[in-house]
Amino acid sequence: MARLQDTSQRGGIDIRDLSMTYRRGREVTQALSACSLTIPEGGWASLIGASGCGKSTLLRILADIVQPSGGSATLGGMTPAEARATRSFALVSQQSVLLPWRRMLENVELGLEVARADRAERRRRAEEAIELVGLRGFERAYPHELSGGMRQRAAIARALTLRPRFLLMDEPFGALDELTRASLNFELLRILEETSATLLLVTHSIAEAIILSDVVAVMSPRPGRIVHKLEIGFGHHRTDAMRDDPAFAAHEAELRHALHGDPGVTRPAIREPAFA
Amino acid sequence: MSLTLSAGGAMAWRGAARVVPPALGLAALLAAWAVLTEAGIIAPYLLPKPSAVLAEILTNNEPLWRHGQLTAMEALLGFAIGNIVGVVVAVLMGWFPAFKRCVLPLALVTRGMPMVAITPILVLMLDRGLVPIVTVVSIAVYFPTLITMVRGLESADVEYHELLHSLSASRLQRLLIVELPAALPFLFTALKIGASIAFIVAITGEWVGASAGLGYLIVISGEYFKLAMMWSAIIVASGLTLVTLGCVMLVEKLLGRWTARGEGMA
Repeated sequence: MARLQDTSQRGGIDIRDLSMTYRRGREVTQALSACSLTIPEGGWASLIGASGCGKSTLLRILADIVQPSGGSATLGGMTPAEARATRSFALVSQQSVLLPWRRMLENVELGLEVARADRAERRRRAEEAIELVGLRGFERAYPHELSGGMRQRAAIARALTLRPRFLLMDEPFGALDELTRASLNFELLRILEETSATLLLVTHSIAEAIILSDVVAVMSPRPGRIVHKLEIGFGHHRTDAMRDDPAFAAHEAELRHALHGDPGVTRPAIREPAFA
Repeated sequence: MSLTLSAGGAMAWRGAARVVPPALGLAALLAAWAVLTEAGIIAPYLLPKPSAVLAEILTNNEPLWRHGQLTAMEALLGFAIGNIVGVVVAVLMGWFPAFKRCVLPLALVTRGMPMVAITPILVLMLDRGLVPIVTVVSIAVYFPTLITMVRGLESADVEYHELLHSLSASRLQRLLIVELPAALPFLFTALKIGASIAFIVAITGEWVGASAGLGYLIVISGEYFKLAMMWSAIIVASGLTLVTLGCVMLVEKLLGRWTARGEGMA
């Protein structure tokens, strides 16, 4: 497991001029166009946009599931394929993708099982992760016996067992009700503070993007491109109270305008975050 | 009946609802058989009385036992070989798509061949007896298993494959962790089909290709007008099929609590 904590290769996520074109017969769909985004190591970024704007495509490129048509994407200096081979990132998607025939504990152990960690290590780390997401006592439950929120916690626990340097999350709470979603947002914050992972989150919730990010990138509908970047100045020790902060409402308004292509966005768009 | 049924009572009621109607149907069939034969409406040389068949099973069961054992062995051996070959070939097809494209059409062609017509050919090649019967049973059983398993191995949602891909899993890990467990309910469907096919094909195979077994006993008893023995053999053959089917269903129940529900819930 030593290579998972390799410190020689440092760095965040670097996306440069990424583009993606799908061809089906004569029909050509431009899913992504010249997307650039830099997330420093340990930083938290969100991609927000209407459904079908290509934000999932961007994440799938980083996860080495699809290959981009142009541009480059690196995680800690590695190509997505290298990052996948060294198990440097973990992917959490909207569907928890738990194997229905495995108990929750066995599902959480999956990543380590695939990485051929020994049994004791597997069990220890899985229990640690289960503790962290607050699922103690449900280890022996089958996925269909868990609520949607619990399944999603299990998926996050599974992602954490490999101690990934990069967490790629594709609408992880998109299928949950508002209340569960809000509480899981703050739980994820707590977990993120305990790990030092770099986060790239895809979401269509403005509030979720602000709560969980240092920088929010707004994407336009097809062809997906980043039209606006907003720095969230809340630091990394966040609490529920942040939602009552006037700055939160201001961020919310700005993102809402950017999302809806409102020409009356009063503040000039931040072209590049200060740290890029 | 009280309006508030306890859970146990409701379960017993549902159990009874599943057992009682077929039992009634069977009783009605036996009653009709008894009435028609005892009253002489159907002559005993066409259909023996149920009492005569029962007496035959109780008193003269040595040939039933001997031939039944042989048929059971042939059917179960063929069942095992056919299923193993079917599963292995399906896994190979999933692993090597080119192999699948070459072999699957051929497998579909063997499906069209009538098993009864194949037996004499197998007898010519392999001589009479156990070997050709086991072979023909294997051929008949392997096909539904192959087709069902090919579909079963493909049944897992693409999300599971993407998950394993993102975890950098090997091809073998994908097979063992996702594809095979997902195919398990499909396998049991195939096993249930195969269980009845195995006995039917073994018995028809024995008509042409053997000098022993229940199929042979049925033919010989018919030729000598030993109708009670013939019907006893038919009943034993159906009994063997049902027992095998029951075993498959029991294993399925013990093994797959998730197959009945929760499937597809991620």
